[in-house]
Amino acid sequence: MRRILLRRFAQIIPLILGVIVLNFALIQMSPGSFLDVMTAEQQVSDPAMIERMRVLYGMDKPVIIQLLKYIWSVLTLDFGYSYRQNETVLAVIMQALPATVILMLASIAIALLVGVLAGVVAAVKVNTLWDNLISVGAVFFFAAPTFWLGIMLMIVFSVRLGWLPVGGMRDIGVDHGVIGIALDVMRHLALPALSLGLFYAAMYTRVMRASMLEVFRHDFVRTARAKGLSGAQVVVRHVFRNALLPVVTLLGLQLGTVLGGSVVIETVFSWPDIGSLMLDSVMSRNYPVVLGVLVLSSLIVAVANALVDIAYFRLDPRIRAR
Amino acid sequence: MISRRDFLTTTAGFALASSLPLPALAQATPKRGGTLTGTWGGFEPQALFVPPGGGSSPYFTSTKILERLLRLDGALNFQPVLALEVTPAADFKSYIVKLRPNVTWHDGKPFTADDVVFNALSYWKPVSAGLALKALTGAEAVDPLTVKLTFNTTVPEFFLKSVLAGKSGLVIPKHIYDGKELLTNPANNAPIGTGPFKVKEWVRGSHVEMTRNEAYWDAGRPYIDRLVIRWWRDPASRSAAFEAGQLDIGCFNPIPVPDIKRLEATKKFVSTTKGYENSAWVATVEFNSRRDIVKNVAVRQALMHAIDREFIGDTIFFGLATPSTGFIPASNTLFYTKDVEQYPFDPKLAAKKLDAAGFPLKGKSRFKLSVVSAGWFEENVKMGQYLKQALEDVGVEVDLAIPDRATSLKRIYSDYEYDIAISNNSGPIELVPNWTQFVTTDGIVKGAAFRNANGNSDPKLDALVEQLTTQTDPAKRKALAVEFQQGVAKALPITSLVDIGSVTIARADVRDHSQDADFMGESWSRVWLDR
Repeated sequence: MRRILLRRFAQIIPLILGVIVLNFALIQMSPGSFLDVMTAEQQVSDPAMIERMRVLYGMDKPVIIQLLKYIWSVLTLDFGYSYRQNETVLAVIMQALPATVILMLASIAIALLVGVLAGVVAAVKVNTLWDNLISVGAVFFFAAPTFWLGIMLMIVFSVRLGWLPVGGMRDIGVDHGVIGIALDVMRHLALPALSLGLFYAAMYTRVMRASMLEVFRHDFVRTARAKGLSGAQVVVRHVFRNALLPVVTLLGLQLGTVLGGSVVIETVFSWPDIGSLMLDSVMSRNYPVVLGVLVLSSLIVAVANALVDIAYFRLDPRIRAR
Repeated sequence: MISRRDFLTTTAGFALASSLPLPALAQATPKRGGTLTGTWGGFEPQALFVPPGGGSSPYFTSTKILERLLRLDGALNFQPVLALEVTPAADFKSYIVKLRPNVTWHDGKPFTADDVVFNALSYWKPVSAGLALKALTGAEAVDPLTVKLTFNTTVPEFFLKSVLAGKSGLVIPKHIYDGKELLTNPANNAPIGTGPFKVKEWVRGSHVEMTRNEAYWDAGRPYIDRLVIRWWRDPASRSAAFEAGQLDIGCFNPIPVPDIKRLEATKKFVSTTKGYENSAWVATVEFNSRRDIVKNVAVRQALMHAIDREFIGDTIFFGLATPSTGFIPASNTLFYTKDVEQYPFDPKLAAKKLDAAGFPLKGKSRFKLSVVSAGWFEENVKMGQYLKQALEDVGVEVDLAIPDRATSLKRIYSDYEYDIAISNNSGPIELVPNWTQFVTTDGIVKGAAFRNANGNSDPKLDALVEQLTTQTDPAKRKALAVEFQQGVAKALPITSLVDIGSVTIARADVRDHSQDADFMGESWSRVWLDR
């Protein structure tokens, strides 16, 4: 196991180098530059001022030098400076990071809980009314655009009922103490996490149901039944555990995307997430921020992959033997 | 039949109604206190204050904190802010600025003539208003409350005052910025100004909270205790926030147009198009004079007849935009003239004129043009698609591109890679340099956005703008401005398709808003809540 983990972490360095070079090249190749966007947005049309900004942004140097300088600074754990936000890239990302992680973990938790439960119920009661209801629900939440779902939830719970806030992450300027703040964030988190979570839950439901049905057909399940184990014991100990593997795979993939955020949901709920930062940075060709987010993401993907490996070992000892 | 008397009374009534401040309510005594939550129809700024300008979003936030020497009110008169008066010398080559006494910065330091000198020489001229203040040669403090600005040409009074009251005229503290890099100064994210509000906390991605400046020079103001500027990325969410009572005022088209009527019908909200006179928006069309076919003025004129501006205003902008009659929007009551060459929608006439210009139909088309529509507004996307259809109707093949922001900027303003471009301009009342730089020869600067990208170079027009820049007699200036608009309308290097109306939505209990020529960029010290 340790060898596999070591191998996983050894993959990180070439991965990050690849991410940097590839994305740097992509941004350089896309038409328009950071300087164009900044000067246009600031309506700078004085040639002397444009030249001053070009030097400030380091864009007077050849592209290859810019790339090498960037790689060197990443190696020294310096992600550079974002002239757009007027702060270091790390500070910019760190400001968006907590909100992103909270939202994504909450929605994945909802998805996992709802999805696995619904999948198990649907598989156990296969071809009954329950199964059909769950399947229809899963298709609905998978197909319904998340922004629509978000706006509908908002209209019901925030505008009509007035129970929950319409957006943001905190009530402004109210100091409630630690517990108060946690409750406040949870109130704001409920709708975005739910609309995102239900979308993911639909996926988990489908995968869990299919996987359960698959395992039900295996010989060892028949053996377990023949031994005289109760239905619940068979389902929980034998089927459920084996059926979890594909769900863990899916979960691993999803944990890797945690840093991506969800532009759609944060747009609707104005959740201060990393997705819109990323979108804005791509649109303005602000490559230090884009690369900074991507480098952190690749780190997280590597860690998530390692975690999934560990989970496999726990769930299925046969993998360890291989 | 309408009698003469009826006519007089109705027009008088109309004139009266339009001069009333909005919302048209009796001037009650302002109440103190409360929290005002405001937003605008765009995103969070990159920094709270962006020295060279930074567009609408930083302008919106920074103007609550930083002030200017003057402001332009809704009747287009300059009112004192940090300056009590700005007076030209007899030869209009220098101006004396008398400053308001007893003004302090948010950190307690006094505001003096040294600050203004620093701003003029180290901020306005080199960074924010280089083109407008080209003629500025010096600024000196005559005494602690008097500054003398000197120029190497005559400078019209309206022109200088509009620079001082304009987007680039914010006054920043010398003791914070002197000797340090302006563009990356940490104070840009937590500005220290003289304004009615002080920054308390900026939560990126969410809001900025500002508190009342207790030491504000205008005693009793601001009326509100706390100002929260919050950003939503989605117009529908802003509507929901209004309805849930979590948003009080939104400037610059915060919500979808169909929602405006719905909200107003509840009587809890009012909408107004006032307060945008000094930052009027237009959608522009320009013809690249470096390209073979469209450098022909007869072709440009013919193509203009093929475009239905009513359709653009009514359908693409849901009636929020009105057809332009020339380059300068009609809301510019000081300089606008309707007396320019008009190109009414008439596809048959367009076809006839194209035939006459030497481009008859060959098979299905006359020629092929590349149209670039700058994709930063949803409406530009639709206008591009509409233009393609409209031009194809008169036998012009169109190669349409609607690139994203960065690519659009590059294609139109750096590479000049288009025949016809659709873009936008937002400009003040004063025509120089914001409007004139789209057509003058010195406006051609490769890579500088929102300047002359069409390559127009006409010595007569250049001379006209030169006179407009130095003519100090207001009546003569107006005549020059008319001549300028006529020249542009005839040669058509660029013209406006529609004047885009901007709307502010506010709760009915928000009082005394939208009373300046650029309300979004005012300090909001006079806004109050009737709760």
